[in-house]
Amino acid sequence: MNSRERANLALNHREPDRIPLDLGAGFQTGMHVSMVYALRQALKLDPPGTPVKVIEDYQMLGEIKADLLDAIEADFVGVHPASSMFGYKVEGWKPWTTFDGTPVLVPEYFNTDVEDNGELLAYPEGDKSIPASGRMPAGGYYFDAINRQKPIVEGELKVEDNLEEFGFLSDEDVSRFGREVDRVYKETNRAIYANFGGTAIGDIALVPAPWLKNPKGIRDIEEWYISTLTRKDLVYKIFEKQTEISLQNLAKVYEAVGDKVQVVFLTGTDFGAQNRAFMSPKTYRDLFKPFHKMMNDWIHENTTWKTFMHSDGAILSLIPDMIDAGIDILNPVQWTAKDMDQKILKERFGDQLIFWGGSADSQGTFPFGTPEQVRKEVLRSIETLAPGGGYVFNSVHNIQPETPIENILAFYETFRENRAY
Amino acid sequence: MNEITVLYSNTIAGDADAVVENIQSALDANINPEKILNEGMIAAMQEVGRLFEEGEYFVPEMLIAGRAMQAGLNLLRPHLLDSEVGKVGKVVIGTVQGDLHDIGKNLVGLMLEGAGFDVIDLGTDVTPDQFVEAAKENDAKLVGLSALLTTTMPNMEKTVDAFRAAGMADTVNIMVGGAPVTQEYTDKIGADGFGQDASRAVSVAKDLLSRFED
Repeated sequence: MNSRERANLALNHREPDRIPLDLGAGFQTGMHVSMVYALRQALKLDPPGTPVKVIEDYQMLGEIKADLLDAIEADFVGVHPASSMFGYKVEGWKPWTTFDGTPVLVPEYFNTDVEDNGELLAYPEGDKSIPASGRMPAGGYYFDAINRQKPIVEGELKVEDNLEEFGFLSDEDVSRFGREVDRVYKETNRAIYANFGGTAIGDIALVPAPWLKNPKGIRDIEEWYISTLTRKDLVYKIFEKQTEISLQNLAKVYEAVGDKVQVVFLTGTDFGAQNRAFMSPKTYRDLFKPFHKMMNDWIHENTTWKTFMHSDGAILSLIPDMIDAGIDILNPVQWTAKDMDQKILKERFGDQLIFWGGSADSQGTFPFGTPEQVRKEVLRSIETLAPGGGYVFNSVHNIQPETPIENILAFYETFRENRAY
Repeated sequence: MNEITVLYSNTIAGDADAVVENIQSALDANINPEKILNEGMIAAMQEVGRLFEEGEYFVPEMLIAGRAMQAGLNLLRPHLLDSEVGKVGKVVIGTVQGDLHDIGKNLVGLMLEGAGFDVIDLGTDVTPDQFVEAAKENDAKLVGLSALLTTTMPNMEKTVDAFRAAGMADTVNIMVGGAPVTQEYTDKIGADGFGQDASRAVSVAKDLLSRFED
């Protein structure tokens, strides 16, 4: 059984020969570049000092190349938009070093400045002639968006201002997706996870739009959360228009990629904090659900794709509505958050949802625990989430920097020993 | 008393314009500013905290109520005696060094302010020394540290150590909070209290300050 067959069975709630494995197909299922470097070194895939590409320049995720996928026997490959979080093409590589001394390669237009306090600034489209849109604290590992909210004049807020980044895909964008998917499909037998962009409504990581040179509308994170109640009509209209554009984009992309794609990334909007949902079920139902449903319905009526939703946190209260909206896959299954017990989730929703993640905890056990604790969490997730299929093995979110390499090795070793159905 | 009741409801509902109007009419009606503060606003924010814990209010509702409360306080503050402003106690808060995330910290700040604390917010990426200096300068007996990242959480321990090194371990209580923080971690680094969320942070803060009262 090859990876694609294995993935297809699991995604259709059947047990394959073994549990399918993902590392880095999505931008919430990967690893910080420092950890990719450490893992490649530990597996002796590279001579010391060989740089790793930063393929997502905001969270600073490292490239998971085919040799690493082979080494851990992973089953998925990701296809992503050409453009980065800072708005330039992810190409034309140049050497760079992270604060922790990891040798990396960054895109040609990854242009930064160091402030007097050691902080690193990054610019939209790498253009240093305009104000920076992202910063990384001295010694830090990731960028955060700089708040570029312009003063809000209530009567003058326009739907279009928050839609600048959600345009129609160009013919070149569409044919690039077609070429990429075709290439992966022919060159490998792995399953394809595709992110065509634009479908995530109200994703707080995207609201500040660090790739835009002059973002208008609502761009401040707190202001956005507040707007989901105080400017509900405006937010609804933004989502409505964004969905309309997305549906047209999906139709065009589908013509180019067809059913060679197994999984499509729909949304990474975080609906949960550690102890409770970020918003009420009512807000989810009123604002998000209608549009999740429209996109899921189109995908299910026209393609064989499974839709992937990433949401951190305690979202138990929202899951029934998410299922009702047609979500197929839930990631990262953050079982450390309140009421997110894997066993209960599998029992209640296992027939309807595919769980993707839910094993070792990147917030606690991975960075601070022992290999033995990692092993226990791997075994528990296999035991609770794998029966009957509908499970893809992955950590809970990206593996974070400063994770001991022994923990990562124990993670893959334990999975390999116990992955067979 | 009608003004106070209306103010109480509008604060909970987060209607900033109405809150400002209600306070103005309460002042015009010569209602004691301290009474307006305690019965109109602090009581309302306590109810907001309860609604949050009960799962009826969420982050957006809390932010909206908090902003309404701040708009009201700005109007009310000049009418209060110095001794009434932040009379519950002074608290220095901030996100620890290397961390730029502030929603959690801001929510805690709003709730503390709404509970009658004088909140000195140092912002994000705050070094251990900056926390120590601010506590000294403001004579604050309580400090709140926030972190979202696993990579910056260790800077909480460094900050606790800095207070110890400055000889302030017995005169300042430190509370910690943020997504990766647990009670176990709080105990391990020798912090004094764990604010599991913005609402419970208030009761932890009050409890920690009461330790100095004996």
